[in-house]
Amino acid sequence: MLFSSISFLYFFLPIVLILYLIVPKVLKNSVLLLSGLVFYAWGEPRYVVIMVISILVGYVFGLLIEKFRGKKLSKVFMILSVCVDLGLLVYFKYVDFFIENFNAVTGLGIPLLRIALPIGISFYTFQILSYTVDVYRGTVPAQKNPITLGAYISMFPQLIAGPIVRYSDVERELRDRTHTLVKTYDGIIRFCVGLGKKILIANALGELCETFKATDEKTVLFYWLYAVAFSLHIYFDFSGYSDMAIGLGKLFGFTFMENFNYPYISKSVTEFWRRWHMSLGQWFRDYVYIPLGGNRVSTLKHLRNIFVVWFLTGFWHGADWNFIVWGLYFAVLLTLEKMWLGKYLKKSKVLSRIYVLFLIVISFVIFNAAGMGEAMQYIGGMFGIGATGIMGAEWLYYLKSYALILVIAAVGATPVPKLLVSKLKDVKAGNIIVSVLSPVFAAAVLILCTAYLVDGSFNPFLYFRF
Amino acid sequence: MTEKIKYIVTVVISAVILFGLGSWFLLKEPAEYSESERRALSLLPEFSWGSVISGEFMKDFENASPDQFPLRDLFRSLKAYASEYIFNKKDNNKIFVADGHLSKLEYPMNDDMIDYAGEKFSFIYDKYIKDTDAEVFLSVIPDKNCFIAQDNGYLSFDYDEFSKKLSEKTPFAQYIDIKPLLSAEDYYTTDTHWKQENIVDIADKLCTEMGAPFNDTFKENKLNKPFYGVYYNQSGLHVPTDEIVYLTSDIIDGCTVTNYDAGKAVSYPVYDMKKTEGADLYEMFLSGTVAVSVIENPAAEEKRELILFRDSFGSSIVPLFISSYSKITVVDIRYIASGALTGLVDFKNADSVLFLYSTVLLNNSVAMK
Repeated sequence: MLFSSISFLYFFLPIVLILYLIVPKVLKNSVLLLSGLVFYAWGEPRYVVIMVISILVGYVFGLLIEKFRGKKLSKVFMILSVCVDLGLLVYFKYVDFFIENFNAVTGLGIPLLRIALPIGISFYTFQILSYTVDVYRGTVPAQKNPITLGAYISMFPQLIAGPIVRYSDVERELRDRTHTLVKTYDGIIRFCVGLGKKILIANALGELCETFKATDEKTVLFYWLYAVAFSLHIYFDFSGYSDMAIGLGKLFGFTFMENFNYPYISKSVTEFWRRWHMSLGQWFRDYVYIPLGGNRVSTLKHLRNIFVVWFLTGFWHGADWNFIVWGLYFAVLLTLEKMWLGKYLKKSKVLSRIYVLFLIVISFVIFNAAGMGEAMQYIGGMFGIGATGIMGAEWLYYLKSYALILVIAAVGATPVPKLLVSKLKDVKAGNIIVSVLSPVFAAAVLILCTAYLVDGSFNPFLYFRF
Repeated sequence: MTEKIKYIVTVVISAVILFGLGSWFLLKEPAEYSESERRALSLLPEFSWGSVISGEFMKDFENASPDQFPLRDLFRSLKAYASEYIFNKKDNNKIFVADGHLSKLEYPMNDDMIDYAGEKFSFIYDKYIKDTDAEVFLSVIPDKNCFIAQDNGYLSFDYDEFSKKLSEKTPFAQYIDIKPLLSAEDYYTTDTHWKQENIVDIADKLCTEMGAPFNDTFKENKLNKPFYGVYYNQSGLHVPTDEIVYLTSDIIDGCTVTNYDAGKAVSYPVYDMKKTEGADLYEMFLSGTVAVSVIENPAAEEKRELILFRDSFGSSIVPLFISSYSKITVVDIRYIASGALTGLVDFKNADSVLFLYSTVLLNNSVAMK
């Protein structure tokens, strides 16, 4: 189920909120678990079994790891739990990729399994892994109540597209959380911001990208328009979903970590990755990079660690070579910045930002391509190779048609709107205006987004495939 | 306003919207048909465990929920206005407003579709016409984008090139160019079609080129209700409506139309006033979409027969041809396979065969059977 759907907004969410409000405190996690399973089953009725198995595996191994703490068996159970979780992920997400490449190398014709990808498996697998590893490390105690652990893993606000909420971050709130008027207000406003970002901006830009892909008039400037539009689209799509998740979390008493912090104002690619999909970056840092030795090893091993992490980051996003290349592209850039380029980037705020935007736009062309062939075709097209000309009627038309949305998106991707609201609040009259406009904003976004949904507009969601 | 009031008002308003519209959505009577969109609406699925386990229930629910949402037309209008006035989009679902006209983007020129239409016409010529004495003509009706799109910054293809391409695919047909006689004013502002009262000169030209005399004396009649064209309904915008004017004469009034849609002959008047009670008033011309119709003119002074292959634009021009022919057979190959005309259409006695199609259909000719 999509947050940005009629069925979620006007059917699922109101029912779950009523249930959650009327049940006693002791049953609130049960409502979360049940609603999470229904939310998941709505899109994937068969694969809800996989999720339940994953929850049980995490629960049992958590208890076993804790029971044998200090003994060898504890490590064995931790490794086993990692193997089972990663085994499920590899089977459902990567097995056809491996078969395809094995066939290509050996010339064999092993048939593909063509297994449908369970939605959000990459996200909840990482959550379970962080739980069992943290229990092994002694960072958190094992959860004795399977309903509580189930509520954590299947919690619908962050179930299928993150942020990747770690058990250690919400362990206290799973036991005891408060529901206040301020938190509810914050949750509603944050949810509406995310909903607006997703439906009014991201979907419109996604439509532009689809239009480009469908046209034969692929001119140089249309390639660039597509590349910029997709970079903004993916940001508004994913950060909008994260905003909705964080907002919903607040409605249910949770405080999820931030997932984006205006990545497009970064002055280096290193900084970009501290601001983009922060929960994933921190997960890889804590569970892969640091266990490998991080940067406290020889230069060669440090380089190896960077490349391993970025290979895995790319591969996590999708079972195709363009995702691996996308990850390694960042490994190269980050290595260059660490070894040489970083000091030059500090010299000019403008040039460093142009450098980041240029490289990020290119990276998302690779990311969104249907394989490396298309990625190379599109990048070539941006520089005139294989393009049908410099500019054309379609490029001009769609540039004009989407100009305002592109400008809104470009400004909205910076902290400027937030700063303006903050400045306004500093003045008494401004604060009154903000107070009056808050409910108007929430109502306007809900109504306008409903209008777009009712009209059956373009409404995909990118991160479902991960 | 204190902070606390702000919190309460925001929470209450949001709850009223979500719970209010949510309850209305689930409790309201299902709507089966949308008058404004002229289409059947998807209904919420019946609950069954089987459909839930297979996932069909959820899929159908997702598909139907926008159709069954309360105040659907109001929300569609809101989206259309937001798209145009807030986000400054040039079109909404490809519908745009230019020079007071609602229109739909028709771009790019689809060469495959032109080829497909040409192949269909060639097939018809080879199978039914080649061995007859009938002369064959082709004319392309430019859609109104030809006159309003480019000047207003909308995408538009080269209509002369379009006609040339189709003409080259149909060397057996003599091309009649009607584009110079048309302008934006000749089309309804809220609909795709042309106005009958503005195409008398077109009918004259077509008849003259086909060697038939033309009588241009008609009486103008106005339909006493507003015409909400197809784009009016699709756009969601509230713009001035059109009016339908239809032309009559004693000869037209004396004719009947025989339709062969249901496998048996059924007679209708040339202007079917029963259709004015429906959603699409344009269907009053020749009863709208019919596979094969025959109009016989008892007042004809000499035998002259025309077979017209047409789309919906043809419905409003055919009445103007009536005085020029003793019999007109009108065929719409969107509703009958072009290979199934034997026995239904008398090609042997035809003097002329005219393929008269709009660029809207020709550029999407996959609808031709």
